[in-house]
Amino acid sequence: MARYGMVIDLDKCVGCQACSLACKSENNVPFGSPGEQKRRVDIYWHKVIAASEGKYPTQSMEMIPMPCMHCDHPPCVNVCPVKATYKREDGIVMQNTRRCIGCRYCIIACPYGVRNFNDKAQEETPYQRADLPEDMGLDGDKFYGPWPFPHRTRGVVEKCTYCFHRISAAEKQIEEGEDVVIGSDRPDGVVPACVEACPTGARFFGDLDNPDSVVSQLMATRDPFVLKEAQGTNPKTIYLPR
Amino acid sequence: MELTFASATGSTRKYKIAVAVLAVLSVIGVLVFCLSYTLECCPWGVNNSVAWGQLITVMIYFIGLSAGSLVVSSLTYVFGREEYKPIGRMAVFMGLLLMAGAMFCVMVDLGRPEGFWRLFGFFYSNNMKSLFAINGLFYGGYLLLLILYLGAALANSKWTKVLAPAAVLWAILVHTGTGSIFGFVAARGVFYSSMKPIEFVSAAVASGLALVMVMSYFTLKFSRREVPTNMFVSLGSLLKLLIVVLVLLVAVDKLTHYYPPHRESLLFLTTGAWAWIFWGMQFTLGYVVPLFILFHPRWGKTLKGVLIAAAINVIGIFGERAALIFPGLGEPLHLYPGTVEGIWGDRGTYPVTAAETLITVGIVALISLIYLIGIRYLRVLPGESAVEEVQELAEEPEPAAAAE
Repeated sequence: MARYGMVIDLDKCVGCQACSLACKSENNVPFGSPGEQKRRVDIYWHKVIAASEGKYPTQSMEMIPMPCMHCDHPPCVNVCPVKATYKREDGIVMQNTRRCIGCRYCIIACPYGVRNFNDKAQEETPYQRADLPEDMGLDGDKFYGPWPFPHRTRGVVEKCTYCFHRISAAEKQIEEGEDVVIGSDRPDGVVPACVEACPTGARFFGDLDNPDSVVSQLMATRDPFVLKEAQGTNPKTIYLPR
Repeated sequence: MELTFASATGSTRKYKIAVAVLAVLSVIGVLVFCLSYTLECCPWGVNNSVAWGQLITVMIYFIGLSAGSLVVSSLTYVFGREEYKPIGRMAVFMGLLLMAGAMFCVMVDLGRPEGFWRLFGFFYSNNMKSLFAINGLFYGGYLLLLILYLGAALANSKWTKVLAPAAVLWAILVHTGTGSIFGFVAARGVFYSSMKPIEFVSAAVASGLALVMVMSYFTLKFSRREVPTNMFVSLGSLLKLLIVVLVLLVAVDKLTHYYPPHRESLLFLTTGAWAWIFWGMQFTLGYVVPLFILFHPRWGKTLKGVLIAAAINVIGIFGERAALIFPGLGEPLHLYPGTVEGIWGDRGTYPVTAAETLITVGIVALISLIYLIGIRYLRVLPGESAVEEVQELAEEPEPAAAAE
């Protein structure tokens, strides 16, 4: 089984936020007003933070794009009382919004602040997508159903999924014998929306367990690091330094 | 002399007014909850940074008071101290109501309250690694035990001897579990401490005893029963001891986190924007003022002094809960070395909203209402004195809840 991860080259990142936008449109994440942003109630599955060091003449600024870290030891999965958050076999940490009861314990346990509580009932447009087939739910055979959500659930916690709907669809295609690759190993490989949208090609997606994949090779050539290593969460979103 | 128990008559005007006011407040709380649940946009103060707010603060506070009340009742029913028997039944009844109030708080605070039942799918649909799920077991069992215990105490059954120690031990378990919800979270520096569960139990016992003292005093006074001054003064010296133990535990915990290099969280707690909760409420009202009064050679021996100390302690321990939740969650996550600019590096904020406050007041009013109705129909009050007239609760825990 693959173990999917993302490598983000901070040297190439220009902080344009195309990844954040791509994430919002791909996953139907509701937009918020400036007031809501200030109150921290709007939803970001992906964010780009700016970290500065020093004072003006000698100041340095780094832009850190932050999707979910998809930790190998995710604290959010440990604390969820109702198994609404779980880790897939391929390492992607998922959120079952139909099972979530909105206790928000996972928001508190996450050291990266990537989880968001959705307390807004969405208007009919543009979130309700008539072009999508009926929602099948997240259980059993029809595991992921159509994606993005035809209807969003209110009062639950949401998070980045590494665009699992793309990956799962590609896996199905591979099973059927089609010539599809998951990851950045080929220009037409199936990758999350943020990777696809990056104009400078700073993001890479692929199988961390496969030594021939682009992500593994990138990690071998540079000094990769992860955020908050001391937390012991072992993230699969890995950064290459400037 | 065999001590008898009776119910309040509840025929006076004060009693009726109190019941009416509390009923109105409860109905307002329910209405506000229904509104905020059905409205398009949630008008609450909780956000993605301070994800738990007022209701969870009140919930852990209530669980603490409940556990503490139980320990007070154990003085009579476990240790056989007859002098505390007049307030034994009241303590059990209060313990049950406070626990029920805590459960209301959790339920209302959920994003999808209709999914509350999912918390009780033990070992099947629950993730038993989650402290929340484990506490579901504790809380459920506790409510059950309390109902049995109250029934046995009311019936003067011999089962009280068995149920009382079980309920008290279970109460300690409940509060250890509640503390662990916070103590096990490594991502939040203010929470993360192995001392948290123990500290929770200690604070619970102290504040629970203080609340039972205050409430039972007013219950006895307004039902024109004899107030056993000696009992309250001796409970006061017990309270003194419990607060000293609590101060010791908190001091050790905070100093441990002050010593090593990673001490941003403690500095945020003690010098950050919400330091006033810690210093003003927890430290001053919770510890310093009550201890000063109780250790005072004269004030510590009088009924008035002891009761004022207890009341201030009850408010201060609410500050202790708030000083855990708000600085704990408001602290920036320090996502990257250096200064994180913009909202991702700012501390969390928490606006106190009318909706949440009215729901909190509604829950407090509801359990106070059940208390008033309970003492009317259950035999929880000591029935020695002939005059049983007025029954009113002047002091509800509302001021403490509204203080946030």
